[in-house]
Amino acid sequence: MKFDVEVAGRERAVTVERLGETGRFRIVLNGQAHDVDASPIDLGLSILFLSDGRSLDAAATPGPGGDWLVQLPHLDVSVVVDGRRHVRGGQGVAGGPGQQRVIAPMPGRVLRVLVKPGDQVAHRQGLVVVEAMKMENELTAPKAGTVTEVAIAEGASVEAGRLLVVIE
Amino acid sequence: MTRRKVLIANRGEIAVRVMRACRELGLGTVAVYSECDRTALHVRTADEAYLIGPGPAADSYLRIDRLIDVAVRSGASLVHPGYGFLAENEDFAQACLDAGLTFVGPSPDAITRMGHKTAARRVAIAAGVPVVPGTEEPFAEDLPDEALLAEAARIGYPLLVKAVAGGGGKGMRMVPTRADLLPAIRTARSEAGSAFGERAVYLERRLARARHIEIQLLGDHYGTVVPFVERECSIQRRHQKVVEESPSLALTDETRRAMAACAAAVARTVGYTNAGTIEFLLDEDGKFYFLEMNTRLQVEHPVTEVVTGIDLVHWQLRIAMGERLTIDPERALTPVAHAIECRIYAEDPDQGFMPSPGLVRALNVPGGPGVRDDRGVAPGFTIPLFYDSMIAKLIVWSDNRTDAIARLSRVLDEYRVIGVRTTLPFFRWLVAQPEFAAGQFDTTYLDSVLAARKGQAFVDATDGDADDAAVVAALAAWFRAHQASAGAPVTPTSGNWQRAARVEALR
Repeated sequence: MKFDVEVAGRERAVTVERLGETGRFRIVLNGQAHDVDASPIDLGLSILFLSDGRSLDAAATPGPGGDWLVQLPHLDVSVVVDGRRHVRGGQGVAGGPGQQRVIAPMPGRVLRVLVKPGDQVAHRQGLVVVEAMKMENELTAPKAGTVTEVAIAEGASVEAGRLLVVIE
Repeated sequence: MTRRKVLIANRGEIAVRVMRACRELGLGTVAVYSECDRTALHVRTADEAYLIGPGPAADSYLRIDRLIDVAVRSGASLVHPGYGFLAENEDFAQACLDAGLTFVGPSPDAITRMGHKTAARRVAIAAGVPVVPGTEEPFAEDLPDEALLAEAARIGYPLLVKAVAGGGGKGMRMVPTRADLLPAIRTARSEAGSAFGERAVYLERRLARARHIEIQLLGDHYGTVVPFVERECSIQRRHQKVVEESPSLALTDETRRAMAACAAAVARTVGYTNAGTIEFLLDEDGKFYFLEMNTRLQVEHPVTEVVTGIDLVHWQLRIAMGERLTIDPERALTPVAHAIECRIYAEDPDQGFMPSPGLVRALNVPGGPGVRDDRGVAPGFTIPLFYDSMIAKLIVWSDNRTDAIARLSRVLDEYRVIGVRTTLPFFRWLVAQPEFAAGQFDTTYLDSVLAARKGQAFVDATDGDADDAAVVAALAAWFRAHQASAGAPVTPTSGNWQRAARVEALR
């Protein structure tokens, strides 16, 4: 199975092939093969890299906007997965390759919209300020790119998972 | 005699903490909950639990009438308020007394006198305790601007405008120069008005490079007041404590004893009973000033419990039931370990600490020597939007501060909260900072280093991390795609995930 996985603004082609019924997989990442033993555990997955025995406990949680939260032992990473045979339903799913959809992580009110379609934005540049829990929260660009869509207006009330801005 | 019951008028970790103490003392536990807290840990921990209203706190945890009604209906004889919500509300304490219930805390009169900051400053002055230079009385709403400016000039800049009611940084504004004064007073008033229902503000000088040091104390109903070894709470973000430890590196034993004596003097002046905390500012020269009193159990009480071996919540309950305080005062002032507490929140540190509520799918809670985890969240619980998003307080201890930091670093690496972003990566960064290791910080330290980072991620993903993340995401997606055909989930899933898998199976 082939997946396009975008991490930190870079696309990676990853194939996952099961090796028999043993819980072993061959992963091909950046053209390089890694054999792993992957077992579901309470936290998510326990992964053993068979070449050097390295042990990795990690989890991946699909988010409301279609991007995933990958939790490695020492840090959290936002990832977009576009598996070709992968079915996704509902609103606010991830767009095409290279697209990043910025969604409201929680209900709130849009105080300010800092960008407009066509704007070039840098990684971590502020996009929208949402007021929630009596605090102003600035949502920033997950990667550098061009704003292709601004889906909300200032003053709007938004639900968690509502699409705010699309960056390509 | 039937077993006495305690109603815990709170939620989250503090409700669970209080219930643990009740159990140990053989007391029954009664929980209250709002609609979004039906499956919260405090409800599951209690012997009995009663619904008190919808999610917003104003309709549930702040409803005095409903809390009293549940206490009476359930046959509880004591009410523990925890911290936050109604813990420092004199009307709630009075309503408990009026209903024949024992409020586990000070008298309504002591709450009133110490809860208002200008009144508390007068008490401290009367007790002979130094206070931060400032105005003695709150300002009248119609005081002309010239009078405000004159008063500010008398105290000297930089200043703080502070709300007479409340705390937690709300209704508080920095005033670096004369030009900032009037706007700061206006915003502090309006913030205090909406947060506490009281617009009164006053001025205090802002001490340079001050540390926040506080003294826990207990008082019984027979005039005994016992002060404890200090807590160091200078690591703050926007006036909110983030890390607390005990003892402080900045205090000599002589200053500790002087500060403890001052704290006890303030408490005696108002006939204070039960648990309370006196907060001080310690300046660079080792001089200290009374700041305010918290008339309740503090969030950070566990560090004191760890270094003294004294259970503060046990004593709160025992004092409320009329017992005499029999703690050896010397033991309370002599730390036998060094303890550090981190407040783990469902907040995204890389997005300006924005709240990140949601479903906690799994937890790995650290264990081993020298660890205490006071938690209010279990896997499967959706952290609601309505309240403080604290997941847990992580407390570690060892013989000395250096070893305690090494242990903290180990324990933070073990701690895993799956499904939501948390402040764990921030703490992993903080414990590695040389200023933290050296204990060289004041109350402005964290805000200034955070401002200087300009939103830079606390832990940068290396190329190796990014590759790992890609492998994990691809494997998780593979399992997700295959679990439907396998008929049984092969990974822990959220509800949406399972629904998505079912849809896929029907195609």
